[in-house]
Amino acid sequence: MLETRNLDKSFGAVHVTRGVSLKLERGERRVILGPNGAGKTTLFNLLVGELTPDSGSVHLAGEDVTALPVARRARQGLSRSYQKNTLFDGLTVEENLGLAAAIHTGNATRLHTDSLARPEVREIVAEVAEQVNLMPYLHARVSEVSYGVRRQLEVGVALATRPLVLLMDEPTSGVGPEMAKGFHDLLGNLPRDLTLLIIEHDMDLAFDVADTITVLNYGEVVFDGLPEAARGSKLLKDIYLGSWEDA
Amino acid sequence: MSLDLGFWTLQALNALQLSMLLFLLSIGLTVIFGLMHFVNLAHGALYALGAYFAASVAAVGGYWAGFFLAPVAVAGVGVLLYSGLIQRMRKSGPMAQVLVTFGLIFALLDITRIVWGDLALGLEVPTLLAGRVALLGVEYPVYRLFIIALGQAIFAALAFVLSRTQIGAMIRAGVDNDAMAACLGINVERLFFIVFCVGCALAGLAGAVAAPLLSVTPDMGLQILIPTLIVIVIGGLGSLKGAIAGSLIFGFVQTFGAVLAPQLASVLIYALLAAVLVIRPVGLFPAKE
Amino acid sequence: MFRHTPLRYAALVLLASAALFQAFTAEYFGLEILTEILILAMLVIALDMVAGFGGMVSLCHGALLGVGAYGYAILSTKVGLTPLMAMGGAVAVTGGIAWVIGAICARSHGIYFIMATLAFGQMGYSYVFEAPLFGGDDGLGGIARLDLTLIGLDLNDGRSFALFCLGVLAAIYGAAVLILRSGLGRSLSGVMHNEQRMRALGLTVWRVKADVFGLSGLISGLAGVMAAQHVMFVSPGLLSWTVSGEALVVVILGGLGTLVGPLLGAAVFVLLKHEVGALTSYWHLVVGVILIAVVMSRANGIFGWIEARFGARIERRAADAVRDIDPREVKTDA
Repeated sequence: MLETRNLDKSFGAVHVTRGVSLKLERGERRVILGPNGAGKTTLFNLLVGELTPDSGSVHLAGEDVTALPVARRARQGLSRSYQKNTLFDGLTVEENLGLAAAIHTGNATRLHTDSLARPEVREIVAEVAEQVNLMPYLHARVSEVSYGVRRQLEVGVALATRPLVLLMDEPTSGVGPEMAKGFHDLLGNLPRDLTLLIIEHDMDLAFDVADTITVLNYGEVVFDGLPEAARGSKLLKDIYLGSWEDA
Repeated sequence: MSLDLGFWTLQALNALQLSMLLFLLSIGLTVIFGLMHFVNLAHGALYALGAYFAASVAAVGGYWAGFFLAPVAVAGVGVLLYSGLIQRMRKSGPMAQVLVTFGLIFALLDITRIVWGDLALGLEVPTLLAGRVALLGVEYPVYRLFIIALGQAIFAALAFVLSRTQIGAMIRAGVDNDAMAACLGINVERLFFIVFCVGCALAGLAGAVAAPLLSVTPDMGLQILIPTLIVIVIGGLGSLKGAIAGSLIFGFVQTFGAVLAPQLASVLIYALLAAVLVIRPVGLFPAKE
Repeated sequence: MFRHTPLRYAALVLLASAALFQAFTAEYFGLEILTEILILAMLVIALDMVAGFGGMVSLCHGALLGVGAYGYAILSTKVGLTPLMAMGGAVAVTGGIAWVIGAICARSHGIYFIMATLAFGQMGYSYVFEAPLFGGDDGLGGIARLDLTLIGLDLNDGRSFALFCLGVLAAIYGAAVLILRSGLGRSLSGVMHNEQRMRALGLTVWRVKADVFGLSGLISGLAGVMAAQHVMFVSPGLLSWTVSGEALVVVILGGLGTLVGPLLGAAVFVLLKHEVGALTSYWHLVVGVILIAVVMSRANGIFGWIEARFGARIERRAADAVRDIDPREVKTDA
């Protein structure tokens, strides 16, 4: 469903992504682990097109999308959430979801109709609000809801484009362990055919949701396999936990 | 009109003279932008004030008294503006700052009318720089050569200060990343203040040297504002290189456009600006990409 | 996204009543001032649409107004179209030009956007100033007003023309509200809040910006047509950047992103210009000081200040009375 071949990216002398090749099957849930600065977010930016790779390619549903701009890739089914909330602060939760759903349903550029009043948009908004527990907050403005709810909305907005592949950049960053657990339970409610790629800092949480695990270190894939294999891996402990303790 | 060597020399000198005048104005504006992230639209009004100060002082103490006192006086006005308005606006975002300086254009325009009246003032070229000299086959006014030399001297001095001195390094650091500069122990606020005042003084100087060429009127600041803005946007905001490059491009396009394609001249420079913004939205030599 | 609050309705009703009262009671000079306010109000609605709801602070709206005015003048006097067709043609041409400007400038932000639009505006100004077709510095005269005798309006009468302008303004206001509430308008506000996210969600951002800029151009063009019909004469000064600058000052004074505020701003600005202008020739100083004071007060213009001061209370009371839900705090999001 989503594949990268030998992705490379440097900023000046700093080599942040080195020959990354990944392959996600339809419906696969993969977690990317790695210490700070391992190049996880850069990889996301390369996948969605916010950065252009120096070499290598990105394929979505079998098609080479490396040359496509961000918006085109998004319309072909690639959606992402951000590590830092990237929401429409002055608007309500419903409007936030509606903006995304309007783009997906082709109502975002229509002049003769209010996109949020369209039944197909309302349907998606209601469904996504249900999926990520936003029903009680639909009419509140983003600036009025708690940080945890905003994190849920961050993923909700990405979901409202009805993607084939959803990239989540540390969806639980900054929330307490209780909420993070609850959040991972929510991921269980998502349709099974949705392909998920999740950057996660907390290893235990990662093992909860992952079908497969990829570990990045210094921009390189150093582990790629099943969670069970990762759990016992000395390599993973050295890189990941070592640097975790350093930090 | 004969298109011989003399013609080209004459036009090139005219273009150079216009470029240097614009350089004096744009360098202050662009460095202020680089450091403080806002465009002081009242910069043109400060140039007009410089011309008025120079004309007034010259009427009493001669040209050179005006030449040296006008930049000081305009820097003084800069101190007032900075402490009265701009410092208070530091946290309100660039748009609010631009709007305040927009209001200043209106206010300063009428203040110059109140103080100096609506009639144009004149200023004589000093005897030392009067007359013409033969140069590369053309007779050229000494005073215009003086402006060219002055602009180049200021450019050289600024290039030296920015690249070789400690304060230059601080300014470069501030343009690059002001938060980082503050972390390195640079007093960023004081740096802003100094740069703002120097920028104002240069605008005043530009007004003083332009005064004998043009008549001194309240709206001269408004007339020079657009060319100055075009210069810094073509050149790229925040950089010395951009200011000099933008000034030269504007000076030459404007001057040669006016003689070679008079119908297109004024449209030409705006078309060039639009083209630069389309191809390189941040200008030719921005301080940072 | 544009919302009508009770306070905004109240302000609209007050402004409309004042305009109607003036239109029916004023004499020649009062009608001239009213018409001037109404035409400026059309232009600032167009500007507020892009600046207040799309973050596109344009300094070429004066020039767009000028294109509309010259378009009407040329099409009606030189090409010989009927006034109605000339109106449509001028508005369409202005909209098209605005769409292209919007498309080209869509990549620029902040001060670069301001400069880019200024460049296009000045380009138009210089062109009109120099091209012989447009009469150069002398401008063009002999422009006829629309013939509405069929419905019993003689637009050559100042009172009828003022009423007609009021009707046009009302239509423009309604159109602007509809545009801002449409799918396109909502996407525009999404772009203003967070352009990167809208792009990541799959929106072709430049298209949205260009479309709204084009629509705003249609309105500016219509304002220009009305201006040309009002004075029956056009001159290059209409395209000058100072017209754009004044329009921006009006939007800021009134309250960016409120639509109602700029209407109020237009009335205040024109009245100030005439009242202060009658007392002293230094009215620019007064406008400058007021602009500085408004910006430094951190309020979103006159109307923004009124909303911050009274809006919350009125909205809460209305909300309590009408619906039985928690009163939400009113925020002025500019």
